[in-house]
Amino acid sequence: MSATDVVTGFFEAYRNHDTEQMVDLCDLGADFSYVPFEAWGRQRVVRGDGKVCTIGKTVWTTLIDSFPNLSNEVTWITGDDDGNVAVEVVISGTQAKAFGAIGNQGLHYDLPHVFLFHVNEDDRIDDITAYWDTADWNRQLGRIEVD
Amino acid sequence: MTVLDRARTFISRRGRQEPVDEKAVAQRFFERLEVGDVEGAMALTTPDGEFQAVALGVKGTIGGEGQELLEELRRALPDVTLQVTRLFAGHEGTAVAEVFVDGTQADDLFGIVNQEKHVDVKTVWLLHVTDGRIDGIRAYWCQNQLYRRLGVKRLDRVTITA
Repeated sequence: MSATDVVTGFFEAYRNHDTEQMVDLCDLGADFSYVPFEAWGRQRVVRGDGKVCTIGKTVWTTLIDSFPNLSNEVTWITGDDDGNVAVEVVISGTQAKAFGAIGNQGLHYDLPHVFLFHVNEDDRIDDITAYWDTADWNRQLGRIEVD
Repeated sequence: MTVLDRARTFISRRGRQEPVDEKAVAQRFFERLEVGDVEGAMALTTPDGEFQAVALGVKGTIGGEGQELLEELRRALPDVTLQVTRLFAGHEGTAVAEVFVDGTQADDLFGIVNQEKHVDVKTVWLLHVTDGRIDGIRAYWCQNQLYRRLGVKRLDRVTITA
């Protein structure tokens, strides 16, 4: 199985809201970084960095809970011989519950993302990094405060 | 040499068929930008190649909208550093670069009023390379992170910081 096949399977599981399968496609210690996630408090900034089995699964489950029709469309994918994979994917959904600071107004969003993966020799994803523009996401969901 | 490998070669100035090293081209592109040599970076590109800055909704050509954006970035962040933190090349000829952008605002940037604040934002650049030249650029970053660092409070008042 190629690294791009593994990643394609990951997004298929995501479309099916099968978070167990998403996690199963990853190494136990897989790293997770959702770069735009930042919660700024008075004392510290909480970021979307950690492990797939803890932060990652929680984020995916919460997203699916807040956007019950969450889906994705992979528009471009490439990989190399060392297990690196890059994906452009549009993630979309209609809000049914508040998500973090984004209150529920029942609005729909379609948001371009770039995901960077590394797939190890056991065909397991051991690193996930994602980028998107939260300003665009907030606008589509009716939130105008930057923070 | 496989068909795919042959497709990823170009005829050098010495008339030899040379392998295209997409990663080296991408690395040189960011090195030129970091030292303020936008023209040098542009010399590595095909000017009529497609350019897209997704967070800004900018689409155009590398030599048009792309060059304008890079010149604005250099002017607004004159002390900018561009640290390539991950770089690989996909089989179809696209260099994928994660670039950490760090600098201090000295002029308006993408409509954001200058308050001389510090910026540090992670970005991703997809640079498609053909015959040793970049002929497609798509750049991703989180504009919300940029707004937050530069003091913008509301998305409907990007040019107002108070």
